[in-house]
Amino acid sequence: MGAYMSEKKYTKDHEWVSIENEIATIGISNHAQESLGDIVFIELPSVGNSVKAKDEICVVESVKAASDIYAPIDGEIIEVNKNLENDAAIINQDAENEGWIFKMKISDSNQYSELMSEDEYKQFLEQ
Amino acid sequence: MPFAGFNMPINYKTGIINEHKNVRNHSGIFDVSHMGQILIENNETYLHKLEKYIPLQLKKLIKNRSHYSFLLNKDGGVIDDLIISNIDIKDKSYLYIVYNASRKKEDEEIFISCAPNAEKIYNKNCLLAIQGPDSINVLKNIIDIPNNMNFFDILISKYDSNEIIVSRSGYTGEDGFELSIPNESAENLITDLLKNENTMLCGLGSRDSLRLEAGLSLYGHELNENITPIEAGLSWALDKERLEDKNLNGNKILSDQLKNKLSNKKIGLISTNKSMLRDGMTLFDNNDNEIGKITSGCFSPNLNKSIAIGYIKSEFNTDNPIFCEIRKKLELVKINNLPFVKKNYKKNGSVYE
Repeated sequence: MGAYMSEKKYTKDHEWVSIENEIATIGISNHAQESLGDIVFIELPSVGNSVKAKDEICVVESVKAASDIYAPIDGEIIEVNKNLENDAAIINQDAENEGWIFKMKISDSNQYSELMSEDEYKQFLEQ
Repeated sequence: MPFAGFNMPINYKTGIINEHKNVRNHSGIFDVSHMGQILIENNETYLHKLEKYIPLQLKKLIKNRSHYSFLLNKDGGVIDDLIISNIDIKDKSYLYIVYNASRKKEDEEIFISCAPNAEKIYNKNCLLAIQGPDSINVLKNIIDIPNNMNFFDILISKYDSNEIIVSRSGYTGEDGFELSIPNESAENLITDLLKNENTMLCGLGSRDSLRLEAGLSLYGHELNENITPIEAGLSWALDKERLEDKNLNGNKILSDQLKNKLSNKKIGLISTNKSMLRDGMTLFDNNDNEIGKITSGCFSPNLNKSIAIGYIKSEFNTDNPIFCEIRKKLELVKINNLPFVKKNYKKNGSVYE
């Protein structure tokens, strides 16, 4: 973790985003993994795809349901967490660290600042 | 989660997969008090009226045994599936019927029309299930269970000085028991059962994955008013003599179906990759022709793959590949005989499939 790692932010679709040197790392929140239950499969996005905020880009399958994962901001997918292909349950164990899903090169950092802080997300969950 | 008017847990703390495996390896407790339970006096007039809907010879039901059966509509379609038992309570003979929560309204209309003094007991009695190979050892420390009790035997036992109905039955493919117990004693019984460190409370999620692995049908999925028991692959549960009886709803349709080829057949499917098969997905042949639909799908903790039950056209040759449409992509699935996991029931002192 570098000192220049940004604050972790959250979307209303229960994804977290952190940014380091214009590279965003994205996963689903701990709250999201708890409500999904045991995660058994993830369809990872394709590296190289350019996506817009709110685009559906991959799917998490839990024993209960399939859930779409949306791009939190505009950018290009540059890396995916291959460990999840063999063991999607990593997301249940550590959703907000080891369970990261993909990385993006972002094009508009303003979109990032508009996302919720950890406190704002907690308030959002209580609503 | 709301379920048939009840607020029910999908799972408890440790999650669906853990609960599922615990039932297969040890035991688990399900609170299924949402289900309907009714007592109908065992008298000839009532039985005759009920035989219009139920494809069994009700007068010949053996005391202290349970039977899997149905309520049938005029076309032989399934109004509900249920377990019907012949049992004496306080020296009086009854049919004790357990039926689906989601079908209470339809079922009770029929029960009351046949037997006006039928007594619904689900408001005063909870229904608890303990399921899994350890169930017998967990339960016999708490209540009296005769050694020779077989699967689908039913009897009256005692707990907390209350009479309780105990049947050796369940919905998981494992050995187990279902207990109809007065509300005021239910919590004590659960606490007593949980003193065994290898048992745990289980929710609707594992109940569904366990029954699906066992190839058991669920009303509203494999069964509905437009499907007959024969089309659902459950003709073994019909009393064949009753199919000749005009007093049985849909008897002609059913006996014709037994003789002729059906248009659809029930199949088990297993995913060839990690994709999840879900209720409502469409099945195709390798020329993109629709050949059927999935009616139930889940992740199978025992097989570590997704499994499903569905219906396909009988004319389809199952040696050919089958594809399932998952998020607009066609993915290869394989036919798998039902059940996916062999049943583990108790008969004549030993375990049978």
